[in-house]
Amino acid sequence: MIDDAKLAVLTDDELAKHPFDELVVALQQTVQRLEAGSTGLEESIELYKQGLRLHAACETRLKKAELTITELGRRGVTGAEPDEA
Amino acid sequence: MADQPSLWDQLQPEQPEQPEQPEQPQTGRPQEPPARAAPRILRVTDLNRRVRSLLDADSVLGDVWVEGEVSQPSFPPSGHCFFTLKDANSQLRAALFREELGRAVVRPEHGMNVIIHGRVRAYEPQGVYQLYVESITPAGAGDLHARYEALRRELAAAGLFDDARKRPIPRWPRRIGVVTSPVGAVWRDITNVLRRRYPLVELVLSPSVVQGATAAPAVVRALQRLYAQEGLDTIILARGGGSLEDLWCFNDERVVRAIAEAPVPVIVGVGHESDVTLADFAADLRAPTPSAAAELATPDGTQLTTILGRLRDRSTAALLGRAADQRRFVEAEERALVRLSPDIGAARQRTADLIDRGGRALDDRLERRRMLLASSHDALRTLSPTATLERGYAVARGPDGRILRDATAVGAGDPLQVILARGTVDTRVEKTTGDGTEDLIT
Repeated sequence: MIDDAKLAVLTDDELAKHPFDELVVALQQTVQRLEAGSTGLEESIELYKQGLRLHAACETRLKKAELTITELGRRGVTGAEPDEA
Repeated sequence: MADQPSLWDQLQPEQPEQPEQPEQPQTGRPQEPPARAAPRILRVTDLNRRVRSLLDADSVLGDVWVEGEVSQPSFPPSGHCFFTLKDANSQLRAALFREELGRAVVRPEHGMNVIIHGRVRAYEPQGVYQLYVESITPAGAGDLHARYEALRRELAAAGLFDDARKRPIPRWPRRIGVVTSPVGAVWRDITNVLRRRYPLVELVLSPSVVQGATAAPAVVRALQRLYAQEGLDTIILARGGGSLEDLWCFNDERVVRAIAEAPVPVIVGVGHESDVTLADFAADLRAPTPSAAAELATPDGTQLTTILGRLRDRSTAALLGRAADQRRFVEAEERALVRLSPDIGAARQRTADLIDRGGRALDDRLERRRMLLASSHDALRTLSPTATLERGYAVARGPDGRILRDATAVGAGDPLQVILARGTVDTRVEKTTGDGTEDLIT
């Protein structure tokens, strides 16, 4: 999980290495806290900055993403069948 | 019937299983002189070839369905299978080559009743004709549909298809396991969909043959390899479209039970929309096609930018709202402060007025005092002995220093001091007379 304490110490690059779903969840939670309106103005501004960082990290992840493929037991495969419809 | 070189040529490349014998026919025939009365002597090869061409030309034998019982199947190291197909009265040699065997729904067993689709051809080296099997399916009581229904009822009764067993598909998967054939369109489709849709995911391919008699155990093994993997969120089991026989392994009890045992949700996408296998029933989610399975397993990345943008907009709106709240709050506080605080200006004005009025009152009072003082002064001047003395009166003080008003208060010889308007006179009393009231003013 990415919490406030973690966000405070992570650089943007480090943040962008986190799993995408964690970034999205952290962003959603930040937005919800902002919308709850129970934070003071100073804290709201901090939350907003956090949200912008998380959003940027998500965007970075999306842009740079490349499908990773691992194949199990590569040599154990025999009898590959012809092209299917 | 004349020889048909064109037919021969046609047959030539279709006989990979036969040793090539190129020299014989080409050298023999063109030199043959027109037949005379002498009998035409054929070599064995030529005869067999002729039989073969006859069989090949037969429209029925080239595409035939035949039902029979499998007898004495053999499986040499070549991977092919040879057996005898027979009924009560007759028998026929049959060859099932490796490729067709791999695709076959069942592996031929002794005594098995089967329906075979194939063609009859001659095998020249041995001078035999045989049935070349293209597809083999169980016949009679073991027919596919009946087996499908029986198994479906049995597994449904065992609860394998219960809705309560179905798990939700993780919304943001990190690792997705895929069981399918690594060659062919299906794997390509799945990777294409995911590259376009959600390239953030890691795919773990567990390859398996997905058709033929060996498919069912292979699929089970491939699934179990994935079950041993850490951190998989979802598993996709996929296969492209095909005939009922092609898809048969997805109705295999072992495959269905393996799906039901999966530690993570399984999406089954087999064949086309209309193909429903028992594997589909056991899946946590059924996808109509392999591509659809990939889509159902992942969020739509092309919409993610929009979703993320919306989240950012919401936080901006929330912050602006927060700031507006604060401003409204401050303004309200300010108004309350103004309302509750003393009006300093007015107070100052009041004070000024008061000072003014006070000043004026004081002035008046002072003036009155001054006037009073002045009049008092006049009165005092009027009453002052000095003025009286100026008019000629004098003040006499007795020996005790007191002002003398009564003649009887002194006797003869008493010293007197007479105070005049200017200066004093010290004297002595000669004599006193009466009380002095009558002639005081004279």
